Amino acid sequence: MNKELEHSFVTNLEQNQNIVHKVCRIYTNDADSHNDLFQEITIQLWKAYPKFRGDSKFSTWMYRVSLNTAITLYRKSKRSIKTTDFDTMDFKIKAEEYDDEVEQQLKLMYAAVKQLNDIEKALVFLYLEDKSYKEIAETMGISEVNARVKMNRVKTKLKKILNP
Amino acid sequence: MDELELLKKDWKNQEEGLPKLSYNEIYKMILKKSSSMVKWIFIISVLEFILWSSIDVIVRLSGHYDELEVHGLEGFSIFTTILYYSILVYFMVQFYLNYRNIQTTDSAAVLMKNILNTRKTVKRYVWINIGFLALTTLVVVMYTAFYTDVYASKSTDQEVPAYLIIITSLIVVAIFLGLLALLYRLIYGILTRKLKKNYEELQKLEV
Repeated sequence: MNKELEHSFVTNLEQNQNIVHKVCRIYTNDADSHNDLFQEITIQLWKAYPKFRGDSKFSTWMYRVSLNTAITLYRKSKRSIKTTDFDTMDFKIKAEEYDDEVEQQLKLMYAAVKQLNDIEKALVFLYLEDKSYKEIAETMGISEVNARVKMNRVKTKLKKILNP
Repeated sequence: MDELELLKKDWKNQEEGLPKLSYNEIYKMILKKSSSMVKWIFIISVLEFILWSSIDVIVRLSGHYDELEVHGLEGFSIFTTILYYSILVYFMVQFYLNYRNIQTTDSAAVLMKNILNTRKTVKRYVWINIGFLALTTLVVVMYTAFYTDVYASKSTDQEVPAYLIIITSLIVVAIFLGLLALLYRLIYGILTRKLKKNYEELQKLEV
């Protein structure tokens, strides 16, 4: 039974691992921390897996546990963040698809998102993942109105970071 | 165009650049141990329960309770013992119930609240213990000073006035308790600072 559970969990996670990687990208700045957080999220997902009933999609369920781990449970290792690591882990922007100006703007945007606090990052992440305000509110445990207002605040904050 | 909309359009492209872990790599991960904050809170809390209940045992073994009985405080000693262990059992049950409530599948706000509650329970337990210790010490010192001649005979032996002995013992207890309180603030301050900040941020109603 346990082996079966392990197998179904690992298969599910292997197929949906992008969600966890994206959370790690937003919350960490170097490859080591990325792997660290991925590891912790995997453990937390596995611990919660027996309670996953399949009444929601595996991926939907993953958002909650992954974000909860990143915001609340994960304790950053004491390694200092080196700027070189930051560069290597930066988001890849494919040059051929955009003109220079847009490319530059995207680079600045990703850097700005990195400057947000943990809660704001979660909101941006869910927004980028195309979640509705209802889903964002449910995941964060706040009212839908509050989620909308907070999201607007984040947008203003991002604008301020980009145009100081 | 809204910058965030631009980012959203690009977000899908990011998937190509993400690492890809194999079945075996993920399988190895589930065999590893968690190092989450909740685990640390749990470990430290259990240590606290052990520490505070062992203080009572140590005091008993060192014979201080026998001394109380000699001075006619046996009723007080039985009363404090019963109270002490009822408090211990109550808080252990509370702690266990709170700890069981911590679920990563809850919403972020509920999860944070439950962790903070677990932490608060143990904090209350520690404060009650510190208060308990201070109060019993005070009662015993006062009783000994006013109703027995222990201090009086000691002071004639060593030519120190009785009130000086009382004040000194109270200062020593106060310093000990102060240091203890400081230590707790440090340990939990470090552990829950980030959590508290995030919880407040989430609960904050924007205007």
